[in-house]
Amino acid sequence: MTLFEAILLTVITASTPLLIAAIGELVVERSGVLNLGVEGMMIMGAAVGIAAAITTGSSAFGVLAAVLAGMAMAALFALLTLGLATNQVAVGLALAIFGLGLSGVVGAPFVGVQREGIGAIAIPYLSDIPFIGPVLFAQDPFVYAAFALVAGVSWFLFRTRAGLVLRACGENHASAHALGHHVLRVRFLAVLFGGACAGLAGAYLSLVYTPFWTSGMTAGRGWIALAIVVFASWLPWRAAVGAYLFGGVTILQLHAQSAGVPLPTQLLAAMPYLITILVLVLVMRLRGGGAGPAALGQPFVPDR
Amino acid sequence: MTLSRRNILLGGGAIGAAAAMPAAVPPAAAQAPLNVGLILIGPVGDFGWSTMHDQGRRRMLEVLGDRVRATQVEAVAPPDFDRVATQLVRTGSRLIFTTSFSYFQATQRVAAQNPNVFWENATGTATARNLAIYNARFYEGRYVQGVIAARKSRSKTIGYVASFPVPEVIHAINTVMRGAWSVDPQMRIRVVWAGAWFNPGREADAARALIDQGCDVICQHTDSPAPLQLAEQRGNVFGFGQASDMTRFAPRAHLTSSVNNWGDYYVARARAVLDGGWQPSDTWGGLDSGMFRLAPFTNMTPEEASEAERIRDALAAGTLQPFEGPITRQDGTLVIPAGQRLTDDQIRAQNYFYQGIEVQMP
Repeated sequence: MTLFEAILLTVITASTPLLIAAIGELVVERSGVLNLGVEGMMIMGAAVGIAAAITTGSSAFGVLAAVLAGMAMAALFALLTLGLATNQVAVGLALAIFGLGLSGVVGAPFVGVQREGIGAIAIPYLSDIPFIGPVLFAQDPFVYAAFALVAGVSWFLFRTRAGLVLRACGENHASAHALGHHVLRVRFLAVLFGGACAGLAGAYLSLVYTPFWTSGMTAGRGWIALAIVVFASWLPWRAAVGAYLFGGVTILQLHAQSAGVPLPTQLLAAMPYLITILVLVLVMRLRGGGAGPAALGQPFVPDR
Repeated sequence: MTLSRRNILLGGGAIGAAAAMPAAVPPAAAQAPLNVGLILIGPVGDFGWSTMHDQGRRRMLEVLGDRVRATQVEAVAPPDFDRVATQLVRTGSRLIFTTSFSYFQATQRVAAQNPNVFWENATGTATARNLAIYNARFYEGRYVQGVIAARKSRSKTIGYVASFPVPEVIHAINTVMRGAWSVDPQMRIRVVWAGAWFNPGREADAARALIDQGCDVICQHTDSPAPLQLAEQRGNVFGFGQASDMTRFAPRAHLTSSVNNWGDYYVARARAVLDGGWQPSDTWGGLDSGMFRLAPFTNMTPEEASEAERIRDALAAGTLQPFEGPITRQDGTLVIPAGQRLTDDQIRAQNYFYQGIEVQMP
C-alpha cells in the first residue's frame, strides 16, 4: 500500500463518524427541529455501545444498543421540545451536557477493558479494483453505512412523497398542518432518526476507531457534525463533501507535521476548520443554497 | 465545564453529608478533618495522567483515614479553572492540588488571592509563599525509552505523539533522542503535535500518520492508550505506555510504561498541613524517589531487557545523567560544554531541540 492510499484510507475512517452524525442531524433540521444535543447522543452511543458489546460479547449487539441509546436520548429531547414545546436550543444544549455526564456513569465499569475492534469487510470483486478498491471497498461496515445513508437520505428527501412532507414541516409547519399532515409525528420520527445516527456514530468511535471506553471520547465531534450541516446548506451530498474534506484536512495536517512541513503547527491545526468553511461557502456562492428550513427551531403547537 | 459542575455538586454533597454526621467522627479525632481539593485536567477514566492522580487521592484517604476528606473535580478545562478553584476554597478546602502545567499560571493567581489555602501545582516551575510545586523526573524514563526504541526500530525512526510544545514535552523529546543516540547515532524522530492532552481519536490519527510515514516505535506524550493500541493493531510497531501500566492495551506492542505514583507524596503533604509543617517546597522526584517507576519490560529479548534495566538503574543511582554536556541547540549554538550539567531550572526552561533533531519547533 502506498502512502497516498494509506492517507486516503485514514481520511475515510476519520470522516465516517462526522458524516453519519451530520446526515442524521440534517434530516432532523430539515423537519424544522434544531437538536444541538448531537454530542450528547453520540457519546451515549459510544458508552452504551461498548458496554453492550463487552457484556454480551457481540459487536452487532453493541451497535444495536448504541443506536437505541441514541434514539432514547432523542426521544427525551422530543418529549420536551415537541410534546411540551419548550425551547429547542436550551433543551439541545442540556442534552449534550446530560449525555456527557450520563455516559461517564454508564461507561465507568468498562474503563480500561480491552476489546478487539470491528474489522474491515472487503467486498468481493469491487475491492480488487486497483487503487479505488482497497480505499473504498475494503473498509469496515460503518463506512459502507455512511455511503448508504448519504444516498438513501438524499433519495428520501428529494425523490419521495414522505421526504416532501418532511421538508414541508420544516419550511412551514402551519401550512403542512393545514394540509392534514401530522407535523409533530413527522418531527418525532426525524428526531429519532437523528438520534439513531448519532448513536451509530458514537458506536463507531468506541467499537472501531479507538476500541475502548474513556469518558469524553467524542471530543467535540458532535459539534463539528452540527457545523457541517449548516455549511452544507442542508444538502446530503454537500454534507458528505464537508465531512470528508474536514477529515481529510485533519489527517493531512498530521502528515504534514510528521513530514516536517515548515508551517506553524497551530496554523496547520486550524486548517481543517478554515478549508472546510471556505470550500462550503464557495460552493454555496456558486451553486446556491444557504438558507435553512424556514421553520427551523420554531416550536409547533397544533391548534385543533 | 459541565462535568466539573456536576462533580462540584457531588463533592459538595459529600461534604454536606459529612457535616451532617458528626457522630460518625470518633472522639479521639478532636481535630477537624483537613479538606483536600484536587483539580484534574482529564477525566478520571483516562487511564493515564488523571487516573493516577485519582489513585494518589485514594492512597491519601487510605493512609490518613478520617483525618482528611477529599473533593475532586475532573476534566476541568483551563478556562474553567478559576471558578472551580474558588468553589473548592469556598467549600472549605485548605490544601488544593492542581494537577496540570496548564493550570500553573492560574494557580499562581488564585494562590495570591487565597493566602490561607495551601496550593500545590504539578509540573509548575516556580513556588510562592503558599504555593508548592511537584513533579517527577519522567525524562529518566524517556531516556530508557530512547535506548529501547533504538534497539527495536528497524526503520531507525521514532514517532512521537506530542501534546503541546511546553518545556516538559520538549526536554522529553530531547532526552528520548539522547537515549536513542547512545545506541545508534543514526536514529531519527518525527513529531506530531496533537494539540490536546486527551483526545483518543486525534491521538490515534497522529499515530497513524507517523506509522504511515515509516515510524515503527511510537512514543506518546498524551494521556490515552489510543496510540499504543493503534501500534498493536498495525502489528510490527512498538509503543510505550504513558502514566499507567498500559500492557493490557497492547500485549504484543507494549515495551514498557512510565507508571506514576502520587499517593505517597499526597500523604506526606496532607500530613504536613495537619502537623503544621507545610512548606512551599519544590519536589522533583526521580526513579529513586518512587514518584514513578517503569512497568515490566515486555516484548523484548532478555538481552534488550537487561540492557534497559541497567540503564534504568544507572539513572536511578545518578551515575547516568541525561543532561550532561556538551549540549548543542538545533542551530549549532553551544548551551553547555562537556563536563557541565544543566541545572533543574535550565531543564525546566528548555525551549529548543538538540542538534540532530530534524523537527521544527512550533
